[in-house]
Amino acid sequence: MDLAQPPTEAAFAGRRWADWERLDAIVGTVQKRGLRALGPADVAQFSPLYRDVCADLAHAQAVRYSAPLVDYLQGLAAEAHTLLYSGGTGRRGQASRPWARVALEAFPRAVRRHKVAMLIAFALFFVPFLGGLLGSMADPAFAVRIVPESQLRPLVDAYREGFDSQRGAGLDAAMAGFYVNNNVGIALRCFATGLAFGLGSAFYLVENGLATGAIMGYVAAHGAGGNILTFVVGHGSLELGAIGLAGGAGLQLGWSLVAPGDRTRVASLQACARSVVVVVFGASVMLFMAAAVEGFWSSSSVPAAVKRGVGLAMFAIVAAYIALGGRGSGDAETADGSEGPRWT
Amino acid sequence: MLRDVEPGAPLDTDIAIETPEHIVFRHRVAGPARRLLAYLLDLAICYGALVAVALVVMAIAFGASARGATEAVGGAGIGLLLVLAFAIQWVYFAVLEAWRGTTPGKAALGLRVLTTTGRPIGFREAALRNVLRAADALPLAYTAGCLSIAGLASMVVTRHFQRLGDLAAATIVVMTSRARATAPFVLSPPALPQELALLSDDVRLDADERQAIELFLRRAGQLGPARSHELASMIAPVLGARFGVPSADPSRTLALIYDRAASAGRGDAPPSSRAPGAWI
Repeated sequence: MDLAQPPTEAAFAGRRWADWERLDAIVGTVQKRGLRALGPADVAQFSPLYRDVCADLAHAQAVRYSAPLVDYLQGLAAEAHTLLYSGGTGRRGQASRPWARVALEAFPRAVRRHKVAMLIAFALFFVPFLGGLLGSMADPAFAVRIVPESQLRPLVDAYREGFDSQRGAGLDAAMAGFYVNNNVGIALRCFATGLAFGLGSAFYLVENGLATGAIMGYVAAHGAGGNILTFVVGHGSLELGAIGLAGGAGLQLGWSLVAPGDRTRVASLQACARSVVVVVFGASVMLFMAAAVEGFWSSSSVPAAVKRGVGLAMFAIVAAYIALGGRGSGDAETADGSEGPRWT
Repeated sequence: MLRDVEPGAPLDTDIAIETPEHIVFRHRVAGPARRLLAYLLDLAICYGALVAVALVVMAIAFGASARGATEAVGGAGIGLLLVLAFAIQWVYFAVLEAWRGTTPGKAALGLRVLTTTGRPIGFREAALRNVLRAADALPLAYTAGCLSIAGLASMVVTRHFQRLGDLAAATIVVMTSRARATAPFVLSPPALPQELALLSDDVRLDADERQAIELFLRRAGQLGPARSHELASMIAPVLGARFGVPSADPSRTLALIYDRAASAGRGDAPPSSRAPGAWI
């Protein structure tokens, strides 16, 4: 004898239909207009209705109601689940941190957490940079092998001219837009291609370091070295620092695949990606700031001594920020990805 | 939690997610073709907007009377367009996916991004999976996804069609098109007394048999009579023999068997007539 004979499908659906419609309406409202559009009664009902539909789904599957009914309940439960378990929390359910704390504490901490990768990235950038610089200063033909002469010539002319021939505000804005598009794009690409076991990041770092050094050396060899230094020093700390940091994050990403430790490679990659993504955010913001400085300040006709002074101060500020930011204020709270693989 | 497919389970593009309520439901994972279409649609929207802004900028710049004004507006406009081009490549997808879990292109094709645990993605996941489009585009690093060879290879190799960005951010792209409830199968015309008399009261079908017959009966209206007869006569004689029903009309035989099996064991099913109750 059956203790509890299940009802027919039609009877079951007839009894429960009103609740399904109710939950369906709530889900529709949230999807169209967001969680805030729900009234107090809806909010109070959402969770119990969802649990009831879960129970209905389990029942429908257990007693084998027809496929369309099960599919409908499954879809409804899935949509409600997606909404119920969202709500401004991260994947692991921790509350998202305020932006100011991310900027002031999480970013410098993440950089220091991966400092070996970052130092390697800076070496990969600045060693070729010095090579390009010294090589081209000694022999300008060296630069021509790296950067086409058709691009080098106009640069020399521009820097010889100096900054007195005021270019218009319109051109400043155009250049700032170009720097955003080009430089931030390079940094993000430099990070992303690190997924290829770090090789992409290494390539972009070396290539950009070499080309930058060669251009500066070439311009200096043609007698405009002072001007290009004055130009670069203002935004150099932000721009070159950010490229190095993005590249370091990419190297770390690649290393997590090369040496996953006691995890699978995918798990190692995911942990590392979570840990370095804040570095990429920070580097992008630094590059936006650099683009503004480069477009509107570095090319302005402010006296060279002022520009160099400000530029040097910027170097000190950026270095101190990365080295000291977020130190002391509860360093124990590095749980966010700190278990990720490191360079040892 | 994402469950692995048990060995022997049918190969399918579904993934099963178990909720904290211990309910398991399935999401259908979207494949490369549908995702490429969504991506192209998003690109069309973005570049359409870019062209519109460019036209406005040009109209203002050339409409300006003074020569200096033309230069200033033009320069600022070029700066704006370059920033927009940057945003299309690196910002658009990340922000929209973090905010709504989908982009207009994905929404048009019924796609949504979820974490592998079935939750909506946050800003971190959205940013990661979209910045890593550049890695998916390897070895053609500058096409940014349109010809993403590495991404396609990754989607082919992984079980849930994850490109490299999905793997690193632990996300999947699923189809959300939701089934609307349809009425249960209704035997029409209702069973005649002589038909009921032929059929034993105890008709039991296993889950696969029930599903196969149900799918056939739901489709039967769209099939031609000849094809319908052909399909039904593959299985009706077997079942007819098992339950002792002569299968003169195979489709009708299947319908009768299904109808009785669906009502079997239901507490409030009408005892003799198998004509199902009205769907509310």
